[in-house]
Amino acid sequence: MNSAHILLRGQCVRCLVPYVRTAVKQAVLFNGGLPHRTALSSSSVQVHRAVHVSCRYNQNRTVPSAFKGNNEDAKKEKALVAHDDLFERAGKDAKSKATFTKVVDIFNKRDKRRRGHVEFIYAALKKMPEFGVERDITVYNKILDVFPKEVFVPRNYIQRMFYHYPRQQDCAVEVLEQMEGHGVMPNVETKVLLIQIFGEKSQPVRKYQRTTYWFPRFMHANPFPVPHQLPEDPVDLSRFSLARIANDRDAQVTVYQTPYTDLTETGEEIQEPHIVGIQSPDQQSLLAKHNPNRPVFVEGPYPLWLRKTCVYYYVLKADLVPPEEKVEEYIDPEMVGPQQSLYYPLWIDLDLQRDMGDDFSFKVENLEEGAVYAMCMAGQGDQATLARWISGLQETNPILGQIPTIFRLDSGPTELQDTMESQRPPGPDTEAEHGMDSDHFTEEEHHLGGQRVKQ
Amino acid sequence: MSLNRLFVLSNSLKVGRRLIRPQIGQTRKEPLSHLQLQRSIKTNSRNLAYAKDLFLGKVNKDEVFPYPEITNEELEEINQFVAPVEKFFNEDVDSKRIDHEAKIPPETLNGLKELGLFGIQIPEDYGGLGLSNTMYARLGEITSLDGSIAVTLAAHQAIGLKGILIAGTEEQKAKYLPKLATGENVAAFCLTEPGSGSDAASIQTKATLSEDGTHYLLNGSKIWISNGGFADLMTVFARTEVVDKDGQKKDKISAFIVERAFGGITSGKPEDKLGIRGSNTCEVTFEDTKVPVENVIGEVGGGFKVAMNILNNGRFSMGSSGAGMIKKLIELTAEYACTRKQFNRKLSDFGMIQEKFAVMALNAFVMESMAYLTAGMMDRPGLPDCSLEAAMVKVFSSEGGWVCVSEALQVLGGLGYTKNYPYERYLRDCRILLIFEGTNEILRMYIALTGMQYAGKVLTGKIKEMKSGNVGVAFEILGNKLRQTLGRHQDLGLTGKDGVVHASLQDSAKKLEENVAFFSSTVEGLLYRFGKSIVDEQLILKRVADVLINMYAMTAVLSRSSRSISIGLRSHDHEVLLANTFCADAYFKNNLLMTQLQKNSPENNDANIKKIAQEVLEKRAYVCSHPLERTL
Repeated sequence: MNSAHILLRGQCVRCLVPYVRTAVKQAVLFNGGLPHRTALSSSSVQVHRAVHVSCRYNQNRTVPSAFKGNNEDAKKEKALVAHDDLFERAGKDAKSKATFTKVVDIFNKRDKRRRGHVEFIYAALKKMPEFGVERDITVYNKILDVFPKEVFVPRNYIQRMFYHYPRQQDCAVEVLEQMEGHGVMPNVETKVLLIQIFGEKSQPVRKYQRTTYWFPRFMHANPFPVPHQLPEDPVDLSRFSLARIANDRDAQVTVYQTPYTDLTETGEEIQEPHIVGIQSPDQQSLLAKHNPNRPVFVEGPYPLWLRKTCVYYYVLKADLVPPEEKVEEYIDPEMVGPQQSLYYPLWIDLDLQRDMGDDFSFKVENLEEGAVYAMCMAGQGDQATLARWISGLQETNPILGQIPTIFRLDSGPTELQDTMESQRPPGPDTEAEHGMDSDHFTEEEHHLGGQRVKQ
Repeated sequence: MSLNRLFVLSNSLKVGRRLIRPQIGQTRKEPLSHLQLQRSIKTNSRNLAYAKDLFLGKVNKDEVFPYPEITNEELEEINQFVAPVEKFFNEDVDSKRIDHEAKIPPETLNGLKELGLFGIQIPEDYGGLGLSNTMYARLGEITSLDGSIAVTLAAHQAIGLKGILIAGTEEQKAKYLPKLATGENVAAFCLTEPGSGSDAASIQTKATLSEDGTHYLLNGSKIWISNGGFADLMTVFARTEVVDKDGQKKDKISAFIVERAFGGITSGKPEDKLGIRGSNTCEVTFEDTKVPVENVIGEVGGGFKVAMNILNNGRFSMGSSGAGMIKKLIELTAEYACTRKQFNRKLSDFGMIQEKFAVMALNAFVMESMAYLTAGMMDRPGLPDCSLEAAMVKVFSSEGGWVCVSEALQVLGGLGYTKNYPYERYLRDCRILLIFEGTNEILRMYIALTGMQYAGKVLTGKIKEMKSGNVGVAFEILGNKLRQTLGRHQDLGLTGKDGVVHASLQDSAKKLEENVAFFSSTVEGLLYRFGKSIVDEQLILKRVADVLINMYAMTAVLSRSSRSISIGLRSHDHEVLLANTFCADAYFKNNLLMTQLQKNSPENNDANIKKIAQEVLEKRAYVCSHPLERTL
């Protein structure tokens, strides 16, 4: 309760800040205490703006996007549109880092006083992903450089005490926030800029300090990091994804088919999909022990998300072996038992169990599942393509020739694409990756109920 | 003050006791010969085992005291052999050349054959020297001066032809042994396979009986075969199909005598090795080699036991070989240390150099003691099971040898590192000792698990009762523990009225007794805690094995120096000094190890060690970031 009170009161004080500040500024002006002309002019600009900010301040402080919808700020919006236009115009031919920095340079040169720089910065932040520079620290620094230096640095304790130039500070914090969102680590240049612009203990500098404190600590928290730049080539991407799923350093990735364009007799061009599979030696030996009378299944597609890209994979698996069919491997007890010395005894003949006090193992409910023998990714998820994968596997696993293979394919990705289009991340590569032959999949759907057997 | 006085009083009491004791020691000479007489009678029903009983806190004095002796005739005989062999190795063997050319020259081999070194243990009836294990060990001291020759000889007779000697029929012996004894035929031992390594159970070489039942067809390949390039006769282990009692067909391992003349045998290129470069090691491949049925060693399907017996009996000699090598190194290094001057002082005046010599002398002494004690135990009539003891000798001497050679090299500094001196060769040669004939890791597991199995059989009932909450048993154990912690000395009969240890070694004997008692309660605790899952606790088993090895080494030095002092051997006082030093050292080591054994894994660092290894192995690389790496 008490803290809430204080919080409330604090906010009230904050609301008062602009008024108090204007008063202070005016007092300063009357005294003519500021010798520099630039400083004088900037503060006079600020007087005007501070009043302006205050009214918006009470309504919607935290959401910068509120700029847009605010009718009172029609002038501002115009400015924002203008800045947007600037970027649009520059980005007409090529959206790149060079054009983006050029726009910033143009803005910097246009007005010595950098009028409307806050709006410009918000606009620039919004445009960053479009230009593909959202993960570039130099560009962020460039944007921060737009702020005029030394103007917003508090000069006395009262300014320091009350949120000095809140819009500018909020804006800089927003820049840092976006950096944080994209996992960009600020560097020393950022710090120097922020200190030059806002002074030592300002909000942006504090934000910077917090970021640099926590960022390194979480930077490598993920033991399975996904690179920001995924491989472009579908074969390489499949290679990477399969290795990621398998998580077995011994597993062998085999490219069964590289994508190519084939010409049929009628002159039609047919895109042959890529087929990339993975199998570990353990899986190979498991498959070799598979009972040929029981079928193996090709199942899929299953999704795998890599940052904003979703890829699909298929597995070759078997049903759980019923307990009565399990063959225990026979090992001559003489050779592993307690009496032998060639190799040390693998078990000893005792009627004693481990004591409870020394049993540090967790109670884990083990649920057995059918073995997964191999996995693959293919450009197309139809049966013909996957059958090619199986025949490729057969070269290293001859037993597959005797085992019936059943295809249990869902119409997965097409379905997903249709119904969940809005939720799927946009991006040209995703489309290309999984642009499955939709005709084919509708056909597959008819067969979904009845499984087809390929011998 | 009064405490101090009490201490002095007790000390003087001890001295007094010591003064009386020598008489006991001297009067023991008579019962000694008496005991030896007794021994031959007792042996038929001999199932005592010294090392195994240590797990139960028992010291089988009869097994290890007095230190085994050989008769005067035997001693004379061996001395006659030793002199020419020593002369041959000093004058005619050019180890540097053997190492450089990676081949033992034929004239050297012929010299060895003439000396009869290819048939040391083959009975005289078959043209061999017919020497006992003890005397074999004695010759091993000299042959070890050249690693390549030692390994060639060992591959020939310690393992290669041992099968025929142990389990062969009369016909097999008569047919093969004479030629083997003269060195006309050289033998090899083919067990290891590409897929198996130390794991002999996964042998893939197959021997299939022909339709007429007269011979087997051998198919498969063997690797790391010493003498494989030129051996005329091989003991080969292969899988054969055997019908067991239930009428089921099973694959069992059988041993075969295979002559190179049988055909279908190809030897690969000799391996280029780090050490023992003169010995021939290569792959041997069998392709439809016809082996007559009568060439099966032992019974069909019984090959595994044969292999085990051969290897179990072959290991003990490594102790004497190591000791022989170190003794030679001490001579060489001492010469250097006493002549070389640094800062106007001889090297030998520096404490750190002196320590190295002490370490070498101690190790040589302990190895020797262990090796001859074990050889003596094996030479007793009957079929003693000394596999545990032999394994301990092997582990101790191979590791001690490695340390000593490295220390000897260190004394010479940079010179030792050059090829002008033999140290680097010794260092390379002796590295193999830790690897072959069962790696030390495997032997440690074997030592610990065999003992645990033995102790477990006896203690199961007691532990079960304790677990089921029997208050009586629990109190008994608690009482034992309490008594131990109160420091009341254990009396296992090594010293005192019927003591077998000489009075001057009394303190050391007490230490051994204390260790044994502590060890038995530790073992009991381990069995209580882990039961049969102890098989998976390798770090614990390693400590158990180390403690046992130390205790066996203590026993050996106590037994040996007690005998030396009692019969007045030359410089027996030095032996006593060595024995006491070693025992004090081993006592501390044992106490540390056993204290660790009584702790749980988080406390004795085992859990951390495992975790580190797991994380490294998961990445298959060093895990840490580089110290120069930065995030900001």
